Amino acid sequence: MDRQRLTQIASGVVFLALCAVAVLIVVSQAGGGSGGDTDLEDVGLVRDQLKRIQQRGTVLGDPHADVKVIEYADLQWPICHDLSVDVAPDLISQVVRTGVASYDLRQWPVIGDPPLEQSTDAAKAALAASQQGRYWNYVELFYRNQGTEESGYVTRAFMTAIARGAGVKDIAQWNRDRQLDRWDAELARTASEADSLDLGGTPSVVVEGPGGQRVLTAPEFDDIENAIQEVS
Amino acid sequence: MNGHRARGARIVPDPPPIRTKLPARYGPVMPSERAVRTVAALLALAGTGVATYIAVVEAGGGAPQCLAGGHGCQVAADSSYSHLAGVNVAVLGIAGYALLLLCALAGGDVARVAGMAIAIVGFGYSAYLTYVELFVIDAICEWCVASGALMTLLLVANLVRAFGYLGAGLVGAGHDPTAGHA
Repeated sequence: MDRQRLTQIASGVVFLALCAVAVLIVVSQAGGGSGGDTDLEDVGLVRDQLKRIQQRGTVLGDPHADVKVIEYADLQWPICHDLSVDVAPDLISQVVRTGVASYDLRQWPVIGDPPLEQSTDAAKAALAASQQGRYWNYVELFYRNQGTEESGYVTRAFMTAIARGAGVKDIAQWNRDRQLDRWDAELARTASEADSLDLGGTPSVVVEGPGGQRVLTAPEFDDIENAIQEVS
Repeated sequence: MNGHRARGARIVPDPPPIRTKLPARYGPVMPSERAVRTVAALLALAGTGVATYIAVVEAGGGAPQCLAGGHGCQVAADSSYSHLAGVNVAVLGIAGYALLLLCALAGGDVARVAGMAIAIVGFGYSAYLTYVELFVIDAICEWCVASGALMTLLLVANLVRAFGYLGAGLVGAGHDPTAGHA
């Protein structure tokens, strides 16, 4: 084999190497997208869904609205995911955005064996995002990328990817905020509320207004809408 | 002894019968292949060390310690770009550096071309990750920068070796008298 032939072969190998780089980059950007991984789906959808709606702590919309829709949810639970994907978009666009009611999603970790480590970690991560006004973005994006419950997907990498996708600006600060003791107190308070309301599990929705209170379990949008009318 | 008389009584030994053309073309600044391979082997060893450190720390659930402070290493470790198809890129880095080390230790055209190809892939992906650090996740990880720098130097070394010594040792095409095994 002469040198010219070798040079031709080397040129072909260089071309293949460049193709390999392109493939690696495409694979890196594409990802699996099957949920529970760090290649997030629906980042833009969530951003648009919540755009220009006031967030204060865990409350979405006008905190002084006469009617309050309060959901008790576990970020790991697939039925809560279903409510987030199937019900919350209408609730947000037709009820919250119009100022009819506020929407408060309270973290109530119930999935897994005590100490409910994964659900609690996810809840604290969401609450930490509230410190930067991104609680709802975090919650909705988490649900859109939820993995199989208790499968171990709620890792620091996953939660950080959610935070970044949710628009949490200062990730280092968010990491520190996740460790705050106050979240334990807040989660305990929410669990106590759920007990006092005798909620059967997640997702439970409480609709409060001048006309009273309604408690719903895994409701459809129509159920919530009817409850809002009843308590208004 | 083969030789011929030149200018009287002095016996001048025959030049090596076959000599590669490229080193002569590149002039006296062209390093020997032995030197290039030695440098490539050392760079690959250093790269293996860096990649191993990152992989081991991340396997333990942590993040590499940024020596100059800051959270760049942690942010990079937490980002989705730290994994490729579920595999930590540091592990891929270990594999890449190990292959480059093998190519540096081996002689012949297969090793020259393979080393060049692997270095191109490694450099290209390192450049992409550097772009991601600068413009996507806004975080600079010193260990990633070190790996990128090593991969850049490995690309240079392997390109010099491939283009400078490809075909060296071919019967009838010349051989490199400076060539040796690192």
